[in-house]
Amino acid sequence: MEETARLEMPPAFEEAMRRHEREIMRYILRMTRDREDALDLFQETWLRAYRAYPRLDSAAGLRPWLFRIATNLCLNHTRDHARRARVISGEEFEAGGRADRAGTGGSPDGVIDLRAKIGKLPNKQRQALVMRKLGGLDYGEIAAALGCSEEAARAGVYLAMKKIKGAE
Amino acid sequence: MDETSEDFGPGPDEAVVDEMLATARPRLRRALKRIERPRARVAVIDTAIGRLLIADGPRGLIAVKYLDTSDGAGALEDLRQRFDLEEDPATAARIADEIERFLKGDADAVARRRVDLSLVESEFQRRALKRLRTVPPGSVVTYAALADAIGAPSSQRAIGNTMASNPLPIYVPCHRVIKSDGTIGNYGGGIARKLKLLGAEGFRADRGNRLPGTAVYGHWASRIFCRPACTSVRRASRKRWLIFGDSAHARGAGLRACKICHPA
Repeated sequence: MEETARLEMPPAFEEAMRRHEREIMRYILRMTRDREDALDLFQETWLRAYRAYPRLDSAAGLRPWLFRIATNLCLNHTRDHARRARVISGEEFEAGGRADRAGTGGSPDGVIDLRAKIGKLPNKQRQALVMRKLGGLDYGEIAAALGCSEEAARAGVYLAMKKIKGAE
Repeated sequence: MDETSEDFGPGPDEAVVDEMLATARPRLRRALKRIERPRARVAVIDTAIGRLLIADGPRGLIAVKYLDTSDGAGALEDLRQRFDLEEDPATAARIADEIERFLKGDADAVARRRVDLSLVESEFQRRALKRLRTVPPGSVVTYAALADAIGAPSSQRAIGNTMASNPLPIYVPCHRVIKSDGTIGNYGGGIARKLKLLGAEGFRADRGNRLPGTAVYGHWASRIFCRPACTSVRRASRKRWLIFGDSAHARGAGLRACKICHPA
C-alpha cells in the first residue's frame, strides 16, 4: 500500500518512550548526579510529557520537546535544592553545590565549580548550555526546544561558555 | 556526545543507565496507568469512494472522515485530545476491506462493525444516529421521518444538522436520509458519493436525483410495504415510512406486500 498517505502526527507515546527513554535518563543522571533524584525527575519528565502529549504537534519536535521538559525540571530541582540547602545550613551554597552527595562516584572539584557557575547564568543561556553540553542536542533542536532561532541558541551557548571560562 | 562536554564531567556509565531504567520503567508504568487515555488506532485508507481517515477506539469505530471534503488535520487533532493514537496498518486493511465489500454490494460488511457514538455530545444526535443504523440498506428515510422515529416530529432541521456532523459516514448511513420532497438531498462527502453509496445498496435514484418510479413505501412499525398511491399510504402521515427502491429490496428487508394495493 505505498500510495497510502502517512499521518502527520507524533508517534504513539509508547514508541516515543522506547526511542528516547535511554538518552533522557542519561541526560538527567548527568544533570543531577544523584540516583534517587534522577529516578524522580525521570518519572516526572515522562508523566508531564504524557499529560502534554496531545499538545505536541509534530514528530520532528518530539526530541527537543522532551529535552526541554527534562531540562526545566532538572534546573528547577537544582535551584530549589540549592535554596533549601542554603536555608538549612545558613551558608552561601551555590546552585549545584550538592555535588558532595556523590551519586555517580566522586566528582573532581573542577566539576563542582562549573556547576556553581552554570547556576549563575541567565536562564536561556543555562538551558541552551546544558542541552548542548550535557544533552548533546544540536543547535536546531535547542532552538526548537527554547522557541528561538538557531543563531540565538548558538549565541546562548557561546555566551554561556564565555562567562564560565571568563569567571575562572 | 562531543568532546567539549567532557568539561562537565564524564557521562554516566551505560551499565548504570540500564540499571536505572530497569528500576524506573515499572514505576513509571504504574503511574501512567492512573492517568491513561483510552487508545485508538488510526489510519488513512484509500477506497473506491475516496481517501478516508479512520479511527477505531476500544469500544468501536469512532471516526470516518472524507479527506477531500473535510478537515482531516483538525479531526486528528481533536482525537489526540481524547485518545492515545497509534497508526495501525492492520486495522486500516480490515476497514478498507469492509468498505470495498460494501461498495460491491455486501451491505452487511459495514453493518456488523461496532460503532462508538459516545463522542457525539448531544443526546438527541446520538439517538438519531443510533436509530439511523436500523434503517435497512436498500431503503431511505426522509429527515422528517427520522425525526418522527426518535420522538421529535418537528425537528427535521436538527436531524439535518446531525447528518451533517455525522462522525461515522458509511457506517452510520446518513446517505440513506433524503428530503421530504423525494429528492436525494445533500451529503457531506458530495452528492455523487451519496448516489454511489445508495447505488451499492441497490437503491437507484432517477435522473433528476428523485425517487425512482419503482419506489415502494414500507411502514416502519407494521412491516408492510405499499405502492405510493395506496390509500393506506395516503391516510398515514408520510413521516412514518421507509422508502425502498423497489419491492425486492422491501422483501429483502423482511417486509411483506400490502394486501390492498398489491405492489409488484
